[in-house]
Parts: sequence; C-alpha cells; structure tokens
Amino acid sequence: MRSALIRPSPPIGSIALEPPGLGGRISDAVNRQLAHLSDEALVALAARSEQSALAELYDRYGRTAYGLALRVLRDQALAEDAVQEAFLTVWRTASRFMPERGKASTWILTLVHRRAVDAVRREQRRRADSLDLAAEPAVEGAEEDAFLHLQRERVQAALRHLPDAQREALELAYYGGFSQSELAERLGQPLGTIKSRMFGGLSRMRELLGEPGTETSWTPTT
Amino acid sequence: MDAHDLTAAYALDALDPDEAEAYERHLSQCEECREQLAELNETAAALAFGAVAPAPPVRLRESILEAAAAERTNVVPLLRRRWVSRGLAVAAAAAACIAVGLAVSLSQSSQTRTFSLMINPDRTAELHVSGLSTAPGGKTYEAWVIPAHRLPRPAGLFSGGTDTSLRLRGTVPKHAVVAVTVEPTGGSKQPTSKPIFASPPA
Repeated sequence: MRSALIRPSPPIGSIALEPPGLGGRISDAVNRQLAHLSDEALVALAARSEQSALAELYDRYGRTAYGLALRVLRDQALAEDAVQEAFLTVWRTASRFMPERGKASTWILTLVHRRAVDAVRREQRRRADSLDLAAEPAVEGAEEDAFLHLQRERVQAALRHLPDAQREALELAYYGGFSQSELAERLGQPLGTIKSRMFGGLSRMRELLGEPGTETSWTPTT
Repeated sequence: MDAHDLTAAYALDALDPDEAEAYERHLSQCEECREQLAELNETAAALAFGAVAPAPPVRLRESILEAAAAERTNVVPLLRRRWVSRGLAVAAAAAACIAVGLAVSLSQSSQTRTFSLMINPDRTAELHVSGLSTAPGGKTYEAWVIPAHRLPRPAGLFSGGTDTSLRLRGTVPKHAVVAVTVEPTGGSKQPTSKPIFASPPA
C-alpha cells in the first residue's frame, strides 16, 4: 500500500520541480502536462471547469492542507472535511481569484485554515482542554515528502528564532485556532499585548522566511 | 477599536466573527491595510508548511474530485441544494435571486414549485420544472437564456401542468441567467412579462 502513496524522494536538484504528488486517477501524462503550469494558471483552468487542474492543485497542496487541518482539528474525519470544503471552494470560486492580490497557494491554504478554525471553534473540542493542545503532535512515520520536509524545517527554524512570547502567540492562534480574546484570557495578558505579539511574531516570520531559499510555494518547471 | 491593529490577527484567523466583520469593513476603505494583509496572509499561510504533513487518505482526493465533477454540472455551483423556496413575491424574488443565488418559485400556491437547471459540460442545458400549473388559455411558458449584458434569447416553450424536462435551445454561456416568463401562445421574441423564475448566473 505504501508504494502507492509515497513517491520516492527525488534527487535534491529536482525537488522544486515536482509537486508532492499522490498519484491517483489522473494519468501521469496529464499530470506531466499540467506540471508546467504555475499555481495561478491552474486556478485559471479550474475556473474553466478543468478538473485535472483541480487535481493538480490538490496534488501540490493537498498534503500540506491535510497536515494543517489535522494539526488544528486533531481529528482525521474533521480534517478531511475541512480540506474537502476548502478545495471545493477553490473549485467554485476559482473565477474570482485575483492573482494580483496574492499567490494561489496562499489563497488555498488560507481557505483550509479558515475552515479548520471554524470547525474547531464549532466543535469547541479544545475549550475543555489545555493550551498545550497547540503543541506539535508526534510524527507518524518518517516517510514525509522531501520537499515538504524541507519546508517544514525552514518554518520551524524560523519559529525557533522568535521570542518565546511571540512564538507562543502565533502557535496558539494559528495551529491552536484560539482567537485573540481567548488568548488574552487564557494567558492572562491584556488584549493589546496579544495583538502586538501576533503582529510582531508574524512580521518577524516574514523577515525570516523572506530570506533566500525559503520560498514556500511550488515552482513550475521551465 | 483601531482596526489597523487587527491585520495580524485577521491573517491568523484569530478574530471573533464580529471583529472579523468590522475589520473587513475597514479593509474595504484602507489600502494600507490591504497591502499589509496581503503580506501577512502570505506569511501566515507559510506556517501551514510548518505542520507535520502525513499523507491524507487516498479517498480524500477521490472524494474531492467526484464532488467537484458533480457540482460543475449544476448551474449553481455555490449551492448544492435544489432551488426551492416559497412565499416570495414573484417579481421581487426574480430580481433578488440573481443577487443572492436563491431559487424562486411561484408564491400563490401551497404546492411547491421547483425549477432546477442542469448545465452539461458542453453548456447545453435542461430545465426541469415540477409543480407548475398549466399555462392559462392563450398563454404558454417560455424559457429564456440571458447572456451577461445581452438581450434575452428564446430557449423553448412549455405548457406546464405536468413535470417537464425542457432541453433549452442553444447553449447557456457562463454567467448567463435562465429565466421563465408567461407569454402569448406561440411565444415571444422578447419577454413581455416579469419572470416567474430566474436562475442565479450560471
């Protein structure tokens, strides 16, 4: 079974050339054609009801989306729902995507995150639990995609560079799904302090990730 | 509340719904915040790559693609349910449904009138009508395809009274609206009455 799921790690030089694919119903030939396209071009094709474009976007970001939703929701079924709803929103609203406003990958992952946060607040699962729920769960298996592994290392390294209070605010908000007012209450800090920690943390992350070699979106082949 | 301060929290989805709404209102008037949000959104999305990413179940991909394929044959990709509603003033509803993406049905009966429009991948379409009474003497129902910014185009006649599946003449372009009016027998070249039904833009 694993061989159907896990693509062999590509040589380092081609990491950026191949999306983290899962295989599936779309033939390799079709995937290879679409592999030339940028994320934004795929969204444009999806807006024209090109289903293979949606499949390709899923192959590029589905795994990251699922990891994110799982981190926030801590429940596989809920995470699947959040990812499915987000990708269907991509499908339904692709014609309204405006590339000048931001990257397609940002749009997709923002949709996933919003769905996951909405769901976690709806479920109120974590409200009875402690703050440490935002902590990283144990890694299940080590066969993570090499490209994704690299990206994760970069993001986590950047997070480690943040002052503790900023990192805590970002992690609890983004991975924990806590709102700023919940954080203020739970951390016993004024709301203004929480706001400035989030702003400071995110701005610093931007600087850290903006350094060369930290591109997080997939780069099309030329 | 100074909405300026909320950009980072908004990018992290860390606002409560009323705060988010207030911020969005502010955003529509503040170019500076829009630019800052675009940047912070990108950074927030990068955090997604920081989570451990186990492979999702294969069925998730299949499920998404199947749902997407099923939706795209429907004229209302934003809504999966059928367009049924009752008790709306016909003319107002016909106008409003375009804006809000809801279905309209005739109001003056307890019976549910259902219009559903299926658009095929080649943009041909069928209109299914049920619960609509037979057109009055000398009248017929006429379907229209109204391409964006164009005049309505006659798309077929039907008499009602029974469940009807009408294959619309021609194709339904993207963003076109499909409408139904009551017309003199034989049909009209342009609608002469207010629609009893109008779809959201296809």
